[in-house]
Amino acid sequence: MLEMRKLIIGGLMTAALMSGAQVAQAQNTINIGAIVPSSGPFAEWGRANTVTLKMLEKEVNDAGGVNGAKLNIVILDDAAKPAQAANNMRKLAGDDKVLAVAGPLTSSACEVTFPVANELKTVSTSQASSKPGVAKANRPWAFRNTIDEGILAKTSVPYFKKTFDAKSVAIIYDAKDAVSTSIATKIMPQVFADAGIKVINGDSPISFNTGDLDVSAQVTKLKSMSPDGIVIGADYSQAITVLREMKRQGLTKPVIGGTPLISSAILKAAPEIPVVAPATFYATMTTPKAKKFVADLQPLMRATAGLPKDIEPSMYDANIYETVSMYIDAVKKTGVTGKPDSLEADRTKIRDYMANLKGYEGFSGPIHFGEDGDAIKNFFIVQGQNGAWETKVTGCSAAGGSC
Amino acid sequence: MSTYYAGLFADIGILFLGAMSVYIILATGQLSLGNAGFMGIGAYLASFLTVELQWPLTAALIAAALAAALIGVVVGFPALRLKGIYLAIATLGFGEMVRSFLLNFDRMGGSGGFHGMKHVSLATIWLWAGGILVLIVLLERSRLWLHMRAVHDDEIAANLVGLDTTATKVGAFGFGAAVAAISGGLFAHHYVYIEPGNFGFERSIDFVLAVILGGSTVGPGALIGAGLLVLLPEWLRFLADWRLAAFGVLLVLVLLTRRQGILDKPLLDRLTFGGLRA
Repeated sequence: MLEMRKLIIGGLMTAALMSGAQVAQAQNTINIGAIVPSSGPFAEWGRANTVTLKMLEKEVNDAGGVNGAKLNIVILDDAAKPAQAANNMRKLAGDDKVLAVAGPLTSSACEVTFPVANELKTVSTSQASSKPGVAKANRPWAFRNTIDEGILAKTSVPYFKKTFDAKSVAIIYDAKDAVSTSIATKIMPQVFADAGIKVINGDSPISFNTGDLDVSAQVTKLKSMSPDGIVIGADYSQAITVLREMKRQGLTKPVIGGTPLISSAILKAAPEIPVVAPATFYATMTTPKAKKFVADLQPLMRATAGLPKDIEPSMYDANIYETVSMYIDAVKKTGVTGKPDSLEADRTKIRDYMANLKGYEGFSGPIHFGEDGDAIKNFFIVQGQNGAWETKVTGCSAAGGSC
Repeated sequence: MSTYYAGLFADIGILFLGAMSVYIILATGQLSLGNAGFMGIGAYLASFLTVELQWPLTAALIAAALAAALIGVVVGFPALRLKGIYLAIATLGFGEMVRSFLLNFDRMGGSGGFHGMKHVSLATIWLWAGGILVLIVLLERSRLWLHMRAVHDDEIAANLVGLDTTATKVGAFGFGAAVAAISGGLFAHHYVYIEPGNFGFERSIDFVLAVILGGSTVGPGALIGAGLLVLLPEWLRFLADWRLAAFGVLLVLVLLTRRQGILDKPLLDRLTFGGLRA
């Protein structure tokens, strides 16, 4: 028995030493960190992010690296747990000595990771967090390559009203998820009221919990309110359950939600129900840059074990690709050396580059960052119909409305 | 120590306190799956006191602990009628109730969470963790602990010899709740942000797991359990996608080889002064 314990402890120590050794050989490399949820509830997004980053790393290194140095992206899994994300940030910045970090993905993880980014003076840019004000509370090292849900709703709701002639809506949401709850109980009721649309159950929105497989009672209640439209506050995997049940009960009213709804899977759940949501990228976009990205990335994703065979690159893959590309540009343009003795100065250069970003061409057009750390870029209000997303309105998250 | 390990040790301290809260209640034969609820109460109350009323952290933690103890006693009374798995389910319900309440409690941010706490040092976390550990070790040598073990082993017999089993069981709930609240207060001030999702069912399970893995018969066992629960998933990172599966396998192996948990009385005695005396 004692032998076995020795064996286990020995194995663990070897593992710890191995991860230490990886740091030691980090010479002539540009180290960038990434925090993605490769396990846990958002594993699909995290694993897709991993494939995206590996592809970007290979692209850059095949083209001769960054200023001649090899690009090394250290990808850590946070299992979508905030505490693990914060510790990942400490490991990346403190032990792995990365220049900047892409991630974490969820708003809950960002809330605890961004303060650590400030403490360790390392840039952290989320690929998905869209809960209002998370980067703003953690200036100057926190950025989000995403747009606040509150800004997006101000364009998606008027489109919804006009297209479907909606006079009343009812809300259903995932009460266990913070972003979904904030979209459904705070953002949407306000924006709908401003647009002059009645929210039938604004005081008591119908809730379910992440992982619920049967939402028939909730949908029956929705149906009894006979709304012109349905607001779903949930990420796509949960929203699919609601859509399927709506279809089964014959409630084929148009649906509106936030960015977490965007996925190809949701379109297959109930093709006859129109779904309106905001996005900055979707796989069937027709711009040349997006087309090339999808053509390169999609086969790699589909060949990866643990990802669905019909997966398409998501908005979050596009966002993290853009983020790390920005870091690489910063290294090239601001004379970042990647040497251990200039680490602090290098990190500051990257932060300043991000804060004053100009002329970076993303998938939806030019991107820069506002005072609050959130991306100012074009977005699209897309409508899901017959299995594909189609752009209906193009907007910009800048205060004036043009990017 | 690197900032990474400092972060992990802070997590260990917080998890250890949570595990102790389960251990104290378990010592009277009651299994609580709702201690994350007490932790949430402590986290929100301590944060309210330090952020909104500018109390010093120590005072806020003590106040939060006392308030949670009171709630623990209130929860403990109906729990007297329940045993075993029924009690476990009832406490689980209590934990979910607290989480749902916090989710809808807009005064403290509701689903949006609560900010504004000042970051607490690793030393402070471990002063509290160490203090509670010493308290428990002293308690384990007291007559009161014998009462608790007697209630654990056979409640009817303990009652027959004149022990007040009601007070013992309810008191354990109150004490456990207080320790969980301190864990929560420290958690809030380590991560400087809290939201209801932090105090869900999974965290209650982590507490119980730390106790069962580390050793459910001696207080310091929870320390080993908490350490392994935090460090193992990190050390297994080289396994990439398989790390959580490997973590599960290791847990099963440990429990197969040592059913009472890693640390038990004989091992603890061998490792400490007890070994020298023998």
